[in-house]
Amino acid sequence: MTIESSTLSKPSSLAAKRRNLFYIAIALLSLVGLADSIYLTVQHITGESVRCTIISGCSEVLSSSYAVIGGYPLASIGAFAYFSVFSLAILAVFGYRLAGQLLLPVVLAMCLVSLWLIYLQAFVIRHFCQFCLLSAGITFTMTVLVLVNWRLNRR
Amino acid sequence: MKSKTPFIIILLVLAVAIGGAWYLKKAATSQGHGAISNRTPASNTTPPPATAGVNGAEPPHTLGPTSAKVHLEEFGDFECPPCGLLHPILQQMQTEFSDRLQITFREFPLVPTHQHAMAAASAAEAAALQGKFWEMHDLLYEHQKDWHEVFDVRPIFEGYAKQIGLDVERYKRDVNSDPVADRIIQDGKRGHYLGVKGTPTVFLNGREVPFESLPADKLRVLINSELSGSK
Repeated sequence: MTIESSTLSKPSSLAAKRRNLFYIAIALLSLVGLADSIYLTVQHITGESVRCTIISGCSEVLSSSYAVIGGYPLASIGAFAYFSVFSLAILAVFGYRLAGQLLLPVVLAMCLVSLWLIYLQAFVIRHFCQFCLLSAGITFTMTVLVLVNWRLNRR
Repeated sequence: MKSKTPFIIILLVLAVAIGGAWYLKKAATSQGHGAISNRTPASNTTPPPATAGVNGAEPPHTLGPTSAKVHLEEFGDFECPPCGLLHPILQQMQTEFSDRLQITFREFPLVPTHQHAMAAASAAEAAALQGKFWEMHDLLYEHQKDWHEVFDVRPIFEGYAKQIGLDVERYKRDVNSDPVADRIIQDGKRGHYLGVKGTPTVFLNGREVPFESLPADKLRVLINSELSGSK
């Protein structure tokens, strides 16, 4: 009996370790996204993002009408989203199953928003902001991770 | 009972995020050469005056008397959208404060960010050689959206030159001349000396105005503060 249970628990323990690694990776990525979004939010609030500079295409993007939703800087909504992902990932690491399950829809929603923002930058505003692209890159990486994790968990 | 550790980690990250945001905001609003506070008259501190060091192109393009109590110096790029938004605000300030305010415009074309910025600066400086700098300055800003995405801006700017009554043939010669290029370079040198990194950057009696204080209502408060402080 003891032998059986130990043999059975080994793969599930490995799966749990793998899941935790995924969640930790997502948590770390979301921290980078959070820092990026906070920086952009502060730039927006102080007006610095709107100023034209020699190195940035951000002013055109962040001074556009798409940079504000319902009176709030879009970057602040991004910061909230990244903080939510971080919280869910950390809770998932500590065994909160619902948090792990919520990660997939939240990250997928962020991915769709990022795709829309890239479309706006490429075809409507016709300028790219490197900080916005960094955020999109983080979101796409997190999307790949949650999808791979979801796929492995289904097996 | 589950561990409290994840909640402690989440709260810690939240605290660091809020602290970081506060620090970044503080750093952003206090950067530059002695940022002006909305509450404190600028004369209460002793920053390096914007008139010291590199002087920029001489004579500068100014509106209002030299004897004005408040001197506002703008570093602008005609292709920069926020500079276009600041333009009517400065016009309003000039009307409101009249001979108590002198406005100076400095060329700071952001190349290569803005493909036509240098051409626009040259157009304004070429117009200046015929005494029509401010007329061209106003047209460039007011019609910014008409030209900033056009491939070849020369015919448009020549149209503006004709519209404000310039000798267009002379304008065409001047726009690529050394004196015009030299003025832009001199203004740029002054901008770099003062730490200008973007446009619009505004100095009020020698000290940089935070970008967030450039809307008309806030700028008015700052100018009034300067006027009361210099009594």
